[in-house]
Amino acid sequence: MWQEYAIILVRGIGLGSVYALIAMSFNIVKVSSGILNFAQGNMFVLGGMMAYGFVAFFGQPSLGVWILLIPVAAIVIAVLLTIQGYLTMLPLSYSDDQQSWLITTMAVSIIIGAILLLVQGPNALMVRSIFANIPVFGMRVPAPFLMAIGLALFWYVVLQWFLSKTLTGLAISALWQDPVAGRAAGLKVRRLQLLAFGISGLIVGSAGFVSAPIITLASDSAVAYVLNGFVALVIGGVASNTGALIAGPLVGVAAMLATFKLGGEFQGLVSMLILVTILLIRPEGIFGSTAARRV
Amino acid sequence: MNAKVSTSGDIAAAALAPSGRALPLLDRSARIQLVIGILILVVATIVPSALGQAYWIGIVNLAIIYVVASIFMGLLLVDAGQVSFGHGAVFGAAAYAVGIACGMHGLSFPVGIVFGVLAALVIGVLFALPALRVQWFYLGFVTLSAAMVFPQMLFAFNTLTNGINGISIPLPQLNAPILFGLSALSIMTLVLGIAAIATSAIFPKTLLGRRMRVASASPEAAQSLGISPGRMRFIAFMIASFGTGLAGVLYPPTVGFVSPNAFHLDMSILFFFAVIVGGKGQPLGTIAGVTLLYLLPNVFLAQLIEYRPLVYGTVAFLVMLLMPAGIVGGVVRWLTLRQKPQRMPALQFGHIVDSAQVSLPRPEGNAIEIKDVRKAFGSVVAINNVTLTVRRGEIHGLVGANGSGKTSLLNVLNGFSASDAGTVKVNGRDVTSLRAREVAKLGVGRTFQTPRIFEQLSAWDNVQIGLDAKLSSNPTLVSEHFVGSLRDILGPLRTESIPHGQRRLLEVIRVILTDADILLLDEPAAGLSPEERLAFAALLRDLRDKLGLTIIFVEHDLDLVARVADRVTVLESGTVIASGDVASVWNDPKVKPLFVSVRHA
Repeated sequence: MWQEYAIILVRGIGLGSVYALIAMSFNIVKVSSGILNFAQGNMFVLGGMMAYGFVAFFGQPSLGVWILLIPVAAIVIAVLLTIQGYLTMLPLSYSDDQQSWLITTMAVSIIIGAILLLVQGPNALMVRSIFANIPVFGMRVPAPFLMAIGLALFWYVVLQWFLSKTLTGLAISALWQDPVAGRAAGLKVRRLQLLAFGISGLIVGSAGFVSAPIITLASDSAVAYVLNGFVALVIGGVASNTGALIAGPLVGVAAMLATFKLGGEFQGLVSMLILVTILLIRPEGIFGSTAARRV
Repeated sequence: MNAKVSTSGDIAAAALAPSGRALPLLDRSARIQLVIGILILVVATIVPSALGQAYWIGIVNLAIIYVVASIFMGLLLVDAGQVSFGHGAVFGAAAYAVGIACGMHGLSFPVGIVFGVLAALVIGVLFALPALRVQWFYLGFVTLSAAMVFPQMLFAFNTLTNGINGISIPLPQLNAPILFGLSALSIMTLVLGIAAIATSAIFPKTLLGRRMRVASASPEAAQSLGISPGRMRFIAFMIASFGTGLAGVLYPPTVGFVSPNAFHLDMSILFFFAVIVGGKGQPLGTIAGVTLLYLLPNVFLAQLIEYRPLVYGTVAFLVMLLMPAGIVGGVVRWLTLRQKPQRMPALQFGHIVDSAQVSLPRPEGNAIEIKDVRKAFGSVVAINNVTLTVRRGEIHGLVGANGSGKTSLLNVLNGFSASDAGTVKVNGRDVTSLRAREVAKLGVGRTFQTPRIFEQLSAWDNVQIGLDAKLSSNPTLVSEHFVGSLRDILGPLRTESIPHGQRRLLEVIRVILTDADILLLDEPAAGLSPEERLAFAALLRDLRDKLGLTIIFVEHDLDLVARVADRVTVLESGTVIASGDVASVWNDPKVKPLFVSVRHA
């Protein structure tokens, strides 16, 4: 009995780390530009598709090659996201309607999903992990669950260091406080925002690649990742990576519990109820520091 | 025509003698769009039926149904400012209720309609509840997840819904031609389509529509006009769900079948994109949006179903890049840009009250009594034990450096922020624990430091919302003549043509028109020229002497304060350091050094 809960816990935290990674990638873009990039979910799926594509063309990679491929996937997705970021921000500079990103990021998400549908059809792709299952509490857990946890911790540490210790990172943080003052102080705002899009691409690209064997790689699976990432973001508090790191696994465990106890079709309902509850009780999130901010 | 742009000379002439003509209900662009829209719907419905093209009858009916759903989602988005990415769930609930009632239980279609609309309203209430707390894309995500969960729930409760098999709804009598070759279904769809497009054109011009737009643009301004933003949101969700529900109940007879897969997230996104791609707030917009995103891909890619989402996403993306205001919005904007720039004539306050009217005797008693009020934000004490009395019919100046607590005091006074201690009385009534819109209803009007003139409303509507909100039971003393000439000046004016200084004055006029008997004005003269200040000072005196109003105004221009104020209160770091008539306060040894520094600051 307890073993069932242990496995829910381990898998939930592993899957939740994926949500945490998506929430962190939301965060850095949101901090720099106020944009919540809806296409982040499909970019994440694309990262996973790259793992599939490599296996399909070259066979299972060796450990060394696999490790080398992580940054490759990260950089490819980062380039795509930088291009997307550039296009998303284009209308913001000449139109007084500052909400066009809501549509453009959603449209990009639909376009990527449509291309995936055309290229590989409606079925989900399976990627086999190159690692053997790892014994935890006497059960065998697929290694990518644990590696997702490791990757979330890695990106958390890197982001915290980058945002608080480097000049560029501090400049990005400053944009969240006051973009107008940032511009007045001579910050190259557009360039910083593009950099943030790129960094978010590094995060979701590597996350998709590493967790490919444990996620659903399909043309229509992205929205669920966007939503769960968003739930983690809201629970953690917008702009708080610490919050995202803790909230992601909470959402993951809740989703796993719902799947095991109620059935897969109730997972979305549970995520939504968590989201509504948090927004009604504490809209600034459990770990959010921006208590006075109106949402 | 009033809606045409006239030269400033015409407007000035009109200002002298009010035309007495009422403004047309709709402006020119809305009228033209409404006529074109109705023509399109009528032709698109009649032609396929006349030719007996069953395929086209079906696809046009469905397109009109989607137009209706999009129009009501657009009403929610544009008039009430509520983002719903989950409108497909409202639509789907209505369709499924009809399916369950008529298809599974054999009830008649009219009964199905009742169930369908009720189901839509239930989902609407579920959406409205989080909207009371959260806004903007947070609300978008909540509704989005609801749209995602909706088909899953149809699967989960398969005993009720028939699950994956769906429900077929044979209603042949609705599809049989009854009039000029049109079926009952086509007629219902056409009537609903025309009603929806007329609603989208007329609604912004109704009392409720204006209030909704104010509540959406500025909840604070809405409360100060006695409007409850929460109630406006709720009503908006109910109207939108009702309309979308009516569209949803026509879906099953049109398609003949409902299944969970028909009500995926894609449907909600279609409704949202149709509004944005067509042009927010344009009556023709959703017709253009649905044609481009649904009708054309379905007709031209009938054999290439899998390419539809690609076309659809690409069209939405390109339209946002090239025409951020949407297709119809872009055309309207292009036409407006070609119009001549407008100059707003100076407002004349001379006739604000009928000249025949004699000066009122000054009323007795205190309008406002503030006692030991304290307000802290965290560790910052904004108001520190302030006691202040304002007599009825008095102009009271509130002066002090920036951050001395003037605006905070106004906010406590009209109920925007609750005081930590002390009591506030308005006309002898304790209002300490009342909310802003309740205080407003006692006849307390206010203006804001940043003028709340809304581009979402026409120039005249920006003032009319004052007339809409009668805050006190006082009989209107403002002359008809003044209101008429104001309407003539503002009627043809575009809101964005109103210069900044005039916006403050319009806001003051809006508050005067509410018949409030106490006015709280926050820096009303900022941005006015010296001549305009003189006119404004005269206006304040007229309001006091001829309308008997009590005025409290925050002002940095000490000359203006000295010219019109009966009494002055000086605030410094949240404390009253002097209060009394102008001369004695000006010569107060505590105040003098403060003013010198203020003047040279």
